[in-house]
Amino acid sequence: MTSVTESRPPSERDRLRIGPVALALPAAAWMLAFFAAPLVVFLVYSFLTAKLYDVSGPLTLEAYRDAVTTEVNRTLAVNSLVVGVCVAAATVAIGLPIAYWLRFAAGRWQVLVLFLITATFFASYLVRIYAWRSILGENGLLNSGLERLGILDEPLGFLLYNRFSVSVALVHIFLPYVVLVLYAGFRPISPALVEAAQDLGANAFARWRRVVLPLIAAPAATSFVLVFVLAAADYVTPQFLGGTDGALLGVRIQAALTGSGNWPLGAALSFLMLAAFLSCYALTVILLRALRLHRIRFVS
Amino acid sequence: MSTTQRSPVTFAVTMLALLFLYLPLVVVVLFSFHATGALSFPFTGFSFRWYRDTFGSPTFSSALQNSAIVATSVAILTLVLGTMAAFGLSRCRPRLRAPLAALFFLPITLPGLFVGIALLVYFARLDVQLSLTTVMIAHFVFVFPYFMLVAMAALDRLDPALEEAASDLGASPWKVFRKVTLPQIWPILAGATALAFALSFDEFIITFFVIGPDSTLPMFIFSKLRRTVDPSINVVSTVLMATTLFLWAVAFVFALRAERGRTRRAGGVLGEATP
Repeated sequence: MTSVTESRPPSERDRLRIGPVALALPAAAWMLAFFAAPLVVFLVYSFLTAKLYDVSGPLTLEAYRDAVTTEVNRTLAVNSLVVGVCVAAATVAIGLPIAYWLRFAAGRWQVLVLFLITATFFASYLVRIYAWRSILGENGLLNSGLERLGILDEPLGFLLYNRFSVSVALVHIFLPYVVLVLYAGFRPISPALVEAAQDLGANAFARWRRVVLPLIAAPAATSFVLVFVLAAADYVTPQFLGGTDGALLGVRIQAALTGSGNWPLGAALSFLMLAAFLSCYALTVILLRALRLHRIRFVS
Repeated sequence: MSTTQRSPVTFAVTMLALLFLYLPLVVVVLFSFHATGALSFPFTGFSFRWYRDTFGSPTFSSALQNSAIVATSVAILTLVLGTMAAFGLSRCRPRLRAPLAALFFLPITLPGLFVGIALLVYFARLDVQLSLTTVMIAHFVFVFPYFMLVAMAALDRLDPALEEAASDLGASPWKVFRKVTLPQIWPILAGATALAFALSFDEFIITFFVIGPDSTLPMFIFSKLRRTVDPSINVVSTVLMATTLFLWAVAFVFALRAERGRTRRAGGVLGEATP
């Protein structure tokens, strides 16, 4: 053993030690150049004065003042908040029983159903928006179907172009993702824990409240925040399904960037949103720690 | 193997959710075969005319070609740089791990909108013309963290003793990688590459900001969605979904193979230890 180690040329041992980080450098350089640097430049832009599709001038807080004081921005921020919270709550509430069933009750159907659910994650984002528009519209499939069956006399107008239609499509988009995260959270939990609670006389409600939920709290909170952030910052779904009532802040940011060419305003709105999102992440971590739920793990 | 319980409520929720997830997609596919241009019931008969129309249109073929070029380049680039980075990250000194991981995984937590507009402004600042190249650059940023998540999970489960044994026996690092490590992880890497292709092929949120005058399949759907509604959108949607679903199936099968291979090997070692 010793002789082998000694006979190895020293240069090769050096390479073994320096090697690993060097392997990560090309990707790290790419991410620095095309992820970190653009964000920094964009942050600087939020403190400059707008020229059409360009910026100029000394550092100023003008764009932030503009972003906060404009009435429509506040309305859109409230819309984003409401839609984001509803979508996140709905996906986690629907995702929990699904992930539970997959882990503890699915048996030989587990692989198939897990595949079917995650597969829809890869069904194009735009296609789902299109699908929901053609289902919920005034001449859509739901209305035309119900009319043909004689249930409706005239189409239901409230299905599309509001916060409801935006939320339905976003739940459809993010549900598979949440199921995957929660299933991964359930995986290390032994079925024996739930069975023990059952044997000790806990009913279904008590089993969920005292055993299942504390164990899954951390993944559930993480997926809640992630879905909230991704849904609240969406700009495509509200464009096609939101109309004027269901518009979100993302639509305004996109318009500031590509429509009106006011880059500092778009940047200021983005970073205000980002600050709100970061505080959500921080709050989640603090809450989980305060409730002592961040490290609960009972591995089988 | 876990024991299975009976849980009728969660079973019912799962089945309803499957219905909710699949019905809209099935409807889109169904109406791509509609004989007339109507997108509402009644369904008046099957025909391939919208497929013939769409595949005959030059805007569709150039969008398809662009999507294929971008997704293929992104997948290859991600496979090479991602595999290297996953090794670097899992084998480097602990002190360097946290900052590298932050750089690699942060984009996943950030909405695509921010990545897209920041890149748009950045490219304008640098006077870079928007083209398929800028789309590739942006897609790499988007796809890379997903590839890393999968690759890191695979690398973390490797038994380091096998590589140590090989290098103690005098194998060069490259030979250790080729003969010991790669045979254990290639199914995962293949699956993750298929995933990278699928994600890039379908990407719209970031692409919208960095594409310039060219088109990809999602851009094609987007521009049609804004103007008209006709079954050619259903056709392109069906093509897009069929491609990404096929790739996800490939990735899934590879992941299952790796999982089964691992348990079989583990069982084999245990079997020898305790006959």
